[in-house]
Amino acid sequence: MKTRIKLVSMALLAGSFLASCEKELTPKDLVPKTVDEDSSLPSIYISDTHLHSESYGNPDSAMIVVLHGGPGVDYRSLLNAKDLANEGYFVVFYDQRNTGLSRRHPKSSLHIQQTIDDLSAVIQHYKRSANQKVFLLGHSWGAMLATEYINTYPTQIAGVVLAEPGGFTWEQTKAYVQKSRQSNVLGETVNDATYTDQFINSDENDHELADYKLAILSASGYAPGNTQGNAGSYPFWRFGSAIFNKMNEDAAKDGFDFTQNLHQYTTPVLFVYSELNTSYGEQHAREVAAAYPNVHLEMVRGTGHEIVYFAWNNFRPMVLNYFNNLK
Amino acid sequence: MKKFIFIICAIALSLFIKSSSAQNINWRNLPDEQARFVNLNVGWDFGSTIGIGYGTKLKTKLPVVLNTEFSLPLGKNLLDDFKVKVGGQTELFRLGNFSGTLKIAGVFRRYENNFTRMLNFGSEFSGEIGYYKQGWYAAGEFGFDKAIATHIKSSPETKEYMPTSLNGWYVPTGGNFFYGIQTGVSVKKNDFSVRLGKLKTQDFKSSPMIPFYLQIGVKRRF
Repeated sequence: MKTRIKLVSMALLAGSFLASCEKELTPKDLVPKTVDEDSSLPSIYISDTHLHSESYGNPDSAMIVVLHGGPGVDYRSLLNAKDLANEGYFVVFYDQRNTGLSRRHPKSSLHIQQTIDDLSAVIQHYKRSANQKVFLLGHSWGAMLATEYINTYPTQIAGVVLAEPGGFTWEQTKAYVQKSRQSNVLGETVNDATYTDQFINSDENDHELADYKLAILSASGYAPGNTQGNAGSYPFWRFGSAIFNKMNEDAAKDGFDFTQNLHQYTTPVLFVYSELNTSYGEQHAREVAAAYPNVHLEMVRGTGHEIVYFAWNNFRPMVLNYFNNLK
Repeated sequence: MKKFIFIICAIALSLFIKSSSAQNINWRNLPDEQARFVNLNVGWDFGSTIGIGYGTKLKTKLPVVLNTEFSLPLGKNLLDDFKVKVGGQTELFRLGNFSGTLKIAGVFRRYENNFTRMLNFGSEFSGEIGYYKQGWYAAGEFGFDKAIATHIKSSPETKEYMPTSLNGWYVPTGGNFFYGIQTGVSVKKNDFSVRLGKLKTQDFKSSPMIPFYLQIGVKRRF
């Protein structure tokens, strides 16, 4: 009996020692710091916010603004596109408001008009002259944002590359999201998403916790067998839960339609979709792309939804050829 | 026609229950010769889950049952997520057919996906007040499931992209209140039960993604 008590005591001591070796985490330890917390990060101040942003290439060259997906993801998985700086372009990246390493604002203050206003402000921040051409390269939600911008300002943008936008109306987007979401309640994906609620709770403005939880949930996008066709994990800095939830809630409540003025945009548009995203496909691509009067549709082989990260070598010649023709 | 079949089935079931030597799952129906039980549950408990349990009644003046439960959510990777509860319950008071029960359990939970692995130690406290008759019972319940401390470890994929991500204990973690109803019938040495209720997070401001729980169980006493 005494031996047993000794063994249990030793095990408890060893356990306590091992536990004490590791740091006790706070919410701030769960996610990377934003530009407000780490002054060494590249950033810009525009209007009422502080954005994580960097640029590559000659600032006087034609500008390509790269727009990331989500809403609520960041530009880290799109950094292959900085390669375009070697081809004579000025390439600009920024994490949209409340995403990635950019400043967090209260959820209630967020609305869709800010996404256009922030893009305008980013362009103004980097633009060196009135005749400097501005191109957009948008992935997923970023391609929707690019279209929203062109729909608002049909004469401002010299060309646009759209990589698998969910849709340009709420109906199109809803249809895509429903297809890409795995809804089998007996399956691993759904249970992985819901089971976390008993481990960590977060209020909508507990940004660190909410962003961390969204990162856990978003892992289904690169889990084996994911419907988006992603070959594995891809890099990101930090998800933005508040913007993700607010944009989705607003869209479900009010809907949206980014297509009303697209007929005015007669510049050729490059629209691409991936070979392996089974939730997307040519039919959906054609339906979404049809809103533009002059659109060229291409499939990027060997990749799922994360086209820029997994298939840059296939995507790059299409992008470069397109921009060079409009430069 | 469907209504007719339903009525026939309901009558047949009620006759069967009445004619059997029915046992409730209340304290009066855990006699010493059937003081142990095993149970099997399926339902929704933060995921579609399946669980098994074992319990035994102590020979004490105040009725006490010690029990343990193991449950896991369904899916391709069965053992990456699970929950173990070890605890006890006691009948605090009895007024005629009414009884009040207090339950306390220690909880250990595990979760893993390709972003993180979490191990959590927690506790669960709940109370039940119900009306118990021979052959059936109905009760209301209210409780709090607290995740006290969670050990977080980043997956290899996360470490690859975020080498600075830390592993460690995260203490101000989470908790959920639950409230609902449960009912059951007894057939010989078997008890069949249903629990159904709602979940609310500890700050009362938000709810879990699926804010409900449902448990359908069968218990065998021996």
